[in-house]
Amino acid sequence: MPKMKLEMEVNNRKVVKETDTHKRLIDFLREDLNLTGTKEGCGAGECGTCSVFVDGKLVKSCLMPAAKANGAKIETIEGLAKPGELTPVQKAFHKTGASQCGYCIPGMVMAATACLRENPKAGIEEIKERLGGNICRCTGYTKIFEAVEIARSVVAGEAPAGVLDEDEPLGESYIGHNVRRLDAPSKVTGRLKYAADMKLPDMLQMQVLRSPHAHARIVSIDTSEAEAMDGVACVITADDVPGKDGFGVFVHDQPIMARGKVRHVGEAVAAVAAEDLVTARRALSKIKVEYEVLPGLFDAEEALKPGAPVIHDYAPGNVVKHIPVRKGDVEKGFAEADLILEDDFSTQQVEHAYLEPEAGVAYVDADDVVTVISPSQNITHHRHMLADIIAKPINKVRFIMSPVGGGFGGKEDMIYQGMLALAAMKTHRPVQLNFTREESLIASAKRHPSRVHYRMGLKRDGRITAVEFSMLSDGGAYGMSSEGVMRKAAILSCGPYEIENLKVDTRAVYTNNTPSGAFRTFGGMQAQFATESMMDMAAEALDLDPFEIRRINMMKIGSLTHTQQALKTASLDRVLDAAEKASRWEKGAPKVRGATRQDLDGPDTRKSCTLGARIAAEVSGAEKGQRSGASEKTKDSERVA
Amino acid sequence: MLIYDEYHLPTSLEEALALWADAPEGSRLVSGATDILPWARDGRAGDVHLPALIDVTRIGELRGQKFEKGRVRLGANTVYQDFLTNDTLRRALPCMPHCAIWFADDQIRQQASLAGNLVNASPVADGTPPVVALNGEIELARLEDGEIRRRCVPVVDFIEGPGRTRIQPGEIATAVILDAANGYGGAFQKVGQRRSLVISVACCAALVKTDSSGRVFEDVRLALGGVGPGPMRLSAIESAMRGERVSRALIRRVAAGAGDMVASRSRKEYRREVVVNFVRAALEEALANQPDIEVKFQDAGETVDA
Repeated sequence: MPKMKLEMEVNNRKVVKETDTHKRLIDFLREDLNLTGTKEGCGAGECGTCSVFVDGKLVKSCLMPAAKANGAKIETIEGLAKPGELTPVQKAFHKTGASQCGYCIPGMVMAATACLRENPKAGIEEIKERLGGNICRCTGYTKIFEAVEIARSVVAGEAPAGVLDEDEPLGESYIGHNVRRLDAPSKVTGRLKYAADMKLPDMLQMQVLRSPHAHARIVSIDTSEAEAMDGVACVITADDVPGKDGFGVFVHDQPIMARGKVRHVGEAVAAVAAEDLVTARRALSKIKVEYEVLPGLFDAEEALKPGAPVIHDYAPGNVVKHIPVRKGDVEKGFAEADLILEDDFSTQQVEHAYLEPEAGVAYVDADDVVTVISPSQNITHHRHMLADIIAKPINKVRFIMSPVGGGFGGKEDMIYQGMLALAAMKTHRPVQLNFTREESLIASAKRHPSRVHYRMGLKRDGRITAVEFSMLSDGGAYGMSSEGVMRKAAILSCGPYEIENLKVDTRAVYTNNTPSGAFRTFGGMQAQFATESMMDMAAEALDLDPFEIRRINMMKIGSLTHTQQALKTASLDRVLDAAEKASRWEKGAPKVRGATRQDLDGPDTRKSCTLGARIAAEVSGAEKGQRSGASEKTKDSERVA
Repeated sequence: MLIYDEYHLPTSLEEALALWADAPEGSRLVSGATDILPWARDGRAGDVHLPALIDVTRIGELRGQKFEKGRVRLGANTVYQDFLTNDTLRRALPCMPHCAIWFADDQIRQQASLAGNLVNASPVADGTPPVVALNGEIELARLEDGEIRRRCVPVVDFIEGPGRTRIQPGEIATAVILDAANGYGGAFQKVGQRRSLVISVACCAALVKTDSSGRVFEDVRLALGGVGPGPMRLSAIESAMRGERVSRALIRRVAAGAGDMVASRSRKEYRREVVVNFVRAALEEALANQPDIEVKFQDAGETVDA
């Protein structure tokens, strides 16, 4: 690998290092200087987790060749404050709880710092604009903007520094009190080590060969050329699994790497562990896989048709799970109804897009304990599954949960930890795998795309007499959390309404799409979208206020849930009252509102996005200047740079 | 992943041109490098191994801006953020700040150059319509018998199609030369899925100058991006508007006509609707942004239909 000598001033210290010519600034900072507060979230300039100052200007270090910064003055998150201290921006992020998973936070702190350096009096619109290049998935940005505004007030001298301190405790109770997060200082300073930030002596880098086909039989895999390459420590395939292969949250239908056939685009087929990332990636291109492409299945309804391709031999009908719920007598309920509404609702696949792509490190310790460090949301289950897969007793398998840079359910599945363990066992060296953003998108589970067929019977007074709810979800290539998601969707299906007669069926089926798995609400969102839409349409059909029809049907103390649990507490009445008040709801059926409604754009509603806050501010300033006689005429030869 | 064996940082144009002329096949010039790094990733070019990158940003003579005979000469190292932070440029190129504020984000604008944006020749490049509206030319330099030779090509001709330009082997873009449009009102319209870091589906730049009473269009410039293989100047509409009374009816009429210019292969109906609204909004905003002159619409007081 060609090398280049780089000389920079990093956080006020001179640095001279020889490094690979092709490294980006982010690689040089993280790998050569161990400044891992600068994170890699996307590698394409989209997310801002890697923002650093270069010669005083904030830039995205994943978009800058390190050589471009040769001779420059660099400032990273680690250089903002002295050890043990925090800048006003960092203190404000701590104060408001702006850091949740923390992965975007170093970049956010850098962007906020840049904003206030550029304009110490920046208003909220300008703050939003200047933070526009940084993405956060946990907070919805509210706490972050609040933090920058507090910091701005202190920096601009409009508020005393004391506003950055923790609020005085209110007596002995923490309830109703702003408590600062214990982990915030580690996140706002970039000191917290996520899995991709960890380095162990002699550590190898892993890269994964993924399937280009949605459904194909693997005829052969030839790894010999890759294995013979200098710097390659091992190549692994499904053949390296010593125990009973298969993992999954409910059904263990997913092999560590494709076994015999691939079932979705992006499925792991083989993996290489090598001395460095470039060698590992080059070795991937030397692995020869012969595929026999099979007919693919890409639609949930097609999966249920006779003669559809079979994705898993154990499930010839392609059904991952069917959850039926029955209560009362739906035929009788519909017979009693004055009105029957029927409709279909569909929701799409959604990616979690946590800022931290999947990453992990595995090693075998001196007592032969196979240890995996990763941001897994389910380490105990992973440990049990991996013990069977690698044929070790449970006391020889250890999982350590590294800080999770956002999960939202997407890190429940053991989609790479097994490969790391196998490579560590094969080489007896620590092995690290850091997903690229593209890899995270293609290989990790998604929210289930679902279709709901809904039938609702109602009396003229708004009372629901019966519901028939049938959901078909695309589970994708593997079971993952589908069973639990279908269970939750069934339990929550008809919403917080007491319905005497119901027939609920939720099904997830196998297809050759990217697997579906856990995602916040775990099936509840798809069901509620259908149910709440039906409630609004029922209100419209019956000329009722949407709050009213919900109050008529809501579960109360003593109600029987859809699964016939008697409720000892219920709060929907208070929830509806609060929502009605907060939204300044104007009473009436949905059809009486529309163009004349007066409840929008109230004092506490979020304004729509605008751009050019600083242009608008400066244009109005410039106009004043021009009117007072400042000349616009510029000299022809004026040099303005 | 982008791998290159050499990274050159020439400090003079001569040095850069010599390096570029002798560069092994496959070498690339970089300015901000904000496009080449995302390009060399899975889903686009994948892993790319290049012999050399030649970085033009340390070349002194490509820095800065000069005014020459009613034109502004932007050194090729002029970055998008300059259009927001440099007051003289903001006054001379009134549509550029509005374009820049929509371009990527503050951080990428510190690196990404206008010249690089033009040379990349993306059909949805934000920089192209305002440059075309400002009668932009791109200056290209090459070495010939040891001498630096330069030529200028109008940007509207320079960009031939997606990723295709008239740049010749051995040439380096050294400047972008634009009309100084002091006194004009400028506007830029863009539609994408969010406000930062978004690639335009379509975009539109406008420049407007009225007489001192604010009643008559003296000059109008309109250009579209993202509606065909290259940038598009709406010359027929411009000449139809020159000398006409400023009215909302006129703006509505020309905007409706602009929809016929859409030549994209995808989402044509959508783009058509967008263009009609963009041209109208761009003209109205450009009028409102004109310094010192209060515009008087002939049909002021009439309600504007939605």
